[in-house]
Amino acid sequence: MFENTLFFLSAALCIIGAAGVVFSKNLMHACVLLLASLFGVAGLYAVIGADFLAASQLVIYAGGVVILMLFAVMLTGGSSENSNKFGIEKIPGMGSTKTYVFAGFSVLVISFTILKLMANFMKSYTKGELPAFSSTVEKIGTLLVTDHVLAFEISSILLLGALVGAAVIARPRKG
Amino acid sequence: MISLSSYLFISFTLFVAGIAVMIARKNIIAMMLGIELILNSAALNFAAYTRFINNNLEGHLMSLFIIVIAAAEAAVGLAIVIRFFQIKETIHIDDAAQLQS
Repeated sequence: MFENTLFFLSAALCIIGAAGVVFSKNLMHACVLLLASLFGVAGLYAVIGADFLAASQLVIYAGGVVILMLFAVMLTGGSSENSNKFGIEKIPGMGSTKTYVFAGFSVLVISFTILKLMANFMKSYTKGELPAFSSTVEKIGTLLVTDHVLAFEISSILLLGALVGAAVIARPRKG
Repeated sequence: MISLSSYLFISFTLFVAGIAVMIARKNIIAMMLGIELILNSAALNFAAYTRFINNNLEGHLMSLFIIVIAAAEAAVGLAIVIRFFQIKETIHIDDAAQLQS
């Protein structure tokens, strides 16, 4: 019961936040709604028992990426321009009713076809009984330094490269 | 109710929202928001499949690496955006049409 409630809340937060990112006209609002959507994803991780993943999602995205996005929005002059109805006037032929009708029909046809193809595969995994909760931190730590140690080290080098590269690229111009 | 298909539906919704943001918006930072949404949908798919098919933790590790790569991508991408803004004084994507200014 509690898990169902958490699942519905997280899914609603996730989908509403994603829709808000698409439809909001202000870029700051879009960033904050992206944060809501990422909170929803973290809740979905927590529902299926991935506690470490949910915690790192919250820490990295809420503490790092969205703050970085907000800083970049503020450094590049806020959302004064290009924030009209998702820039759709700039694209010729994308604002007419005919386009939306065609797009809706093609989305319906394609999604029905894909769902029809995947129906048997998805029906065979619909049992929703969750096992008893057990922490995944210890197992993930063991796997990280035994089976996946190469990817672990490569990601550390990647993070160092990203740090140095970002500092070098964004340094102020000298005249 | 908590099933693989509902997770796939949520992931599909996130992916479509990200693609829509990347296509319809003309602001580079807004397009990076779309990229974050797409990466999150992929990570959610990994976690859901590894939970509902075989309950080992390989998908969790893959989602963790996706989060790491998303953080690195956001840092470098925003540095490039800020540099572009210093040079061109705009962040409209149609102004990024030259290799050398």
